[in-house]
Amino acid sequence: MADLSINLAGIKSPNPFWLASAPPTNTGYQVQRAFEAGWGGAVWKTLGEPIINVSSRFAAVHFNGQRVAGFNNIELITDRPLEVNLKEIYETKKRFPNHAIIASLMVEPTQEKWHEIVKRVEAIGVDGLELNFGCPHGMAERGMGAASGQQPDLVQAQTTWVKEVATTPVIVKLTPNITDITVVARSAVQGGADAISMINTINSLAGVDIHSWNTLPNVGGQGAHGGYCGPAVKPIALSMVAECARDLGVGVPISGIGGISTWQDVVEFMLMGATGIQVCTAVMHHGFRIVEEMIDGLNNYLDDKGLASVTELIGKSVSRYSNWGDLDLNYKVVARINEENCINCNKCHIACEDASHQCIDMLTNADGKAILQVREEDCVGCNLCSIVCPAEGAIDMIPLENGAAPLTWNERQKVISSLNGSYSEAEVV
Amino acid sequence: MSAFAEFAKEQQEVDGLLFKGYTIAGILEDLDGARIKFVRAEPAKSAVELMLLTADARKYVTTLIFAGHGVSEK
Repeated sequence: MADLSINLAGIKSPNPFWLASAPPTNTGYQVQRAFEAGWGGAVWKTLGEPIINVSSRFAAVHFNGQRVAGFNNIELITDRPLEVNLKEIYETKKRFPNHAIIASLMVEPTQEKWHEIVKRVEAIGVDGLELNFGCPHGMAERGMGAASGQQPDLVQAQTTWVKEVATTPVIVKLTPNITDITVVARSAVQGGADAISMINTINSLAGVDIHSWNTLPNVGGQGAHGGYCGPAVKPIALSMVAECARDLGVGVPISGIGGISTWQDVVEFMLMGATGIQVCTAVMHHGFRIVEEMIDGLNNYLDDKGLASVTELIGKSVSRYSNWGDLDLNYKVVARINEENCINCNKCHIACEDASHQCIDMLTNADGKAILQVREEDCVGCNLCSIVCPAEGAIDMIPLENGAAPLTWNERQKVISSLNGSYSEAEVV
Repeated sequence: MSAFAEFAKEQQEVDGLLFKGYTIAGILEDLDGARIKFVRAEPAKSAVELMLLTADARKYVTTLIFAGHGVSEK
């Protein structure tokens, strides 16, 4: 059995599975039950001046029979006094000394406010701090959360203020509601962040009820934008983790967050550079005990791979994530249909005809059986047919050796520029 | 005409000019595709311009150049 323990910027945890700062980490009762279930750490629901929430806070996007493909909330940070939370953190830490408890914090962007809350929270004994610069709703309108997380200078300044007094590792949680997340990630690092976490929720409106014309959710007929999370956001989160992991100006450990629901998701985030991960929506959907399957699955995967420690996964795929301009234009794959597995639903033909390059023919073979066949010379290898195909193993994407040396777009442009510069107009005629 | 056939036609035109001793002297890309300028010194100085429309042909030409083929050693 592999070693699942991690050390994220000095925060030790028996496994990489942390609960994200959110409703499941609202109280000591919940966090202790989570630890009993197997979670290795918890980021306590954001502490700050206690707020007042509205009723009717959540909504979900169900897609094609899957419940909670996406999840939307308009809940704010903790509505409980700081001392109440601190007492429960103390009790939880005393009961689970080897588990990681990280306090998520959010206050107005002033040095005094940050100093005050950091000192009070660290006095109770936490393993680290996570600065919430990401919450997109409610608190942002008050100048906190995503409002300050969208300003690199404010991210840096607030991180600096925290680091002036913090004695535990400081994680800065980033908002995805920004054009380039690496800009704020670098600002956090310049402010002294020991680690970063991402992503917080994405600005969203879950839907509109076409019968009542009310938004989802709505508060007595009125709605407001919320924060989107759940499986639907995973690709966005993974991309942002990858961008930060390969940015040399960032260079600090990453706690990955965003739509993680399975052990496979965890492996993906760690391969793309995360040292550990955080989960919320999957727990809100299925409860704390989903971690049991995540631990088992990860253990089996590591054993199968012959890896002694989960940390051996960290960042192993980062070098395989590049810029479009550095991809090989001469790499070629084509679709190949396996007749024995094909169910002749024709979805590949329709997709190719209507949305790609019209290279899958509907034919009849010598036995009079309808078959689908790819004209490989016309196939651009877009993958669409294999994506829409419902039959396992019916379409393979096969790399073709075409004898051409690798050539990227960037190399191509340099070649053209060099060629054009080496001839005078007279020579070219 | 299939995309491959369109490409093959343009590829043949490129190869034909190279076979005749032309080398690629310049590439001008615009909204209509790529204008490839070919030059030849012998038997008489001459130049030919070939307009390539297909993506594969435009890629083919630059792959040739990248590999050091089709250009004069200046």
